[in-house]
Amino acid sequence: MSEPALEGFALTRRFGGFVALDGVNIALKRGEIRGLIGPNGAGKSTLIDVLTGRAKNRRGRVVLNGEDVSELSPQQRRKRGMARSFQRTNIFPELTVEQQLRVASWAVADADIAEVMNELNLTALAARPAGDISYGDQRRLDLALALVGRPQVLLLDEPAAGLTMDESLALARTLRDLVNRWNVTVLLVEHDMQVVFTICDRLTVLHLGRFLSEGSCAEIRADPTVVAAYLGTQA
Amino acid sequence: MSTLAQGTIVVRPRRIGATTATLLAGAVALAVGFALPLLLPSKIAMSLFAQALFDALLATSVGFLFLQNGRISFGQAAFSGLGGYAFGILVARGLVGSEIALLIALLLPTLVAFLLGLVIARVSGVAHAMLTLAVGQAFYEVAFRWRELAKGDDGMSFDLPRRIFGLSSRGLQDPAFMVVLAWCLLVVVLVGLALFARSRIGMVTAAIRDNEERARFLGYSTTLPRALVYALAAFIAAIAGILQASYNGYIAPQMFHWTVSGYALIMAILGGAKFIIGPAVGAVVLFYVKELAGQVAEYWPAIVGGALVLVTLTMPQGIIGILRLLWLRRPPQ
Repeated sequence: MSEPALEGFALTRRFGGFVALDGVNIALKRGEIRGLIGPNGAGKSTLIDVLTGRAKNRRGRVVLNGEDVSELSPQQRRKRGMARSFQRTNIFPELTVEQQLRVASWAVADADIAEVMNELNLTALAARPAGDISYGDQRRLDLALALVGRPQVLLLDEPAAGLTMDESLALARTLRDLVNRWNVTVLLVEHDMQVVFTICDRLTVLHLGRFLSEGSCAEIRADPTVVAAYLGTQA
Repeated sequence: MSTLAQGTIVVRPRRIGATTATLLAGAVALAVGFALPLLLPSKIAMSLFAQALFDALLATSVGFLFLQNGRISFGQAAFSGLGGYAFGILVARGLVGSEIALLIALLLPTLVAFLLGLVIARVSGVAHAMLTLAVGQAFYEVAFRWRELAKGDDGMSFDLPRRIFGLSSRGLQDPAFMVVLAWCLLVVVLVGLALFARSRIGMVTAAIRDNEERARFLGYSTTLPRALVYALAAFIAAIAGILQASYNGYIAPQMFHWTVSGYALIMAILGGAKFIIGPAVGAVVLFYVKELAGQVAEYWPAIVGGALVLVTLTMPQGIIGILRLLWLRRPPQ
């Protein structure tokens, strides 16, 4: 059995007296899409921040492809194959779509950007400043920036936030297709349960900064603790 | 052909075209520069225009820092002053040959700015502006109080060496020669900055300016590219300082003063700090507005200040921004 692509051990993050993440363990199998769900304040985004180095974990370790990267900076983790997107659109508004994808590619050994532009339908927007394109296009650009260079591990923080249902499902299908073909491992934070159940292989549930449950989509749907803490509140 | 290949084809020729257009515009501007002594009516006009061009170089330095780093500096005069002082002191004391003095005068401010950039690049907003102000004033205080360095607040006159790079240096104090030299250097700097903006490092620094966090998560160290921009901006400021010191044969602490930096910033905003050529245009316009106001009123700074408030409020994109807007809105042919 191959080693996990990404592992987090006893990850802990505090903000003053508030414990946002309390000794969470997680392990992602290579090539899987893992959904990370839970109510607001469960610690989902904090977990992604700790795994990617945006937030320092007070305790615990992050292991990427067997290497302990806990002390590495975000840029060092990116060069080792870990990429991420952000909860809010995080692009370069004054650069054109093509310029910023080129900038992204130069950081990872001049990776091909035409492939990513094509996969995410950005080719026609290549010459337009990113600040001028629609919100939906910006979300796809945000994802494209993370996908340049075919990262091994991709952490996505609500990539479908603010999109219409149709746009969300189209994005989900694109993501599923890319993951299958590129063998990318994905950790996906998403509130849209339709997106989550459509593309995720397994789910991890957090509640109040702690691990609550883990299993297949069917198992999680049937888990009474998850239904009580989270799914039961879904309309 | 796939859509992705089509997308690449659309963009690449434009980039090559823009580079060629920039070089052609630079060549034309250089030709104009050599005709300046014929176009300007008198030595006084040449002298005034040469001084406006010194300002233009300093304003370009400030504008470049804003354009490429997104940072506002109130201390850029520190680097023009350092360039002028290094050249003046080394030449006056005959410590090194004039060519080496020139090289040191260019490289010393560049190196100082790079090292400072490694520290202050991490700071943004008002704190950054205050830090640059403090750095500039620190240099001013040293030049003001250290009499043994260059006669303190009196300033120091110096004679140029007879020859620089095998050529007579007398031309450096001749308005007809200096106006051509300053113009040509400004053109080379502007063309260089335009090419830099389109280069790989230029786009990376623009990305860092736009969104530093995202740049880090793409795999970039953000401090070094920012420090490089500080260094390049200081290099341009040093050219301005050396030209001014050579032309006047005189260096004084006022070269470092924050008001010089402040005026350069105003010039950059007036011309359009989001455009490479904007600060230079703003500098020349403001220089002549100051001259004109000085001739008609004793309290000319108040007139200039009022006009600037009006201009900044009504055209925040600056002169070049307005011209660009008019060009884009021109009726179809």
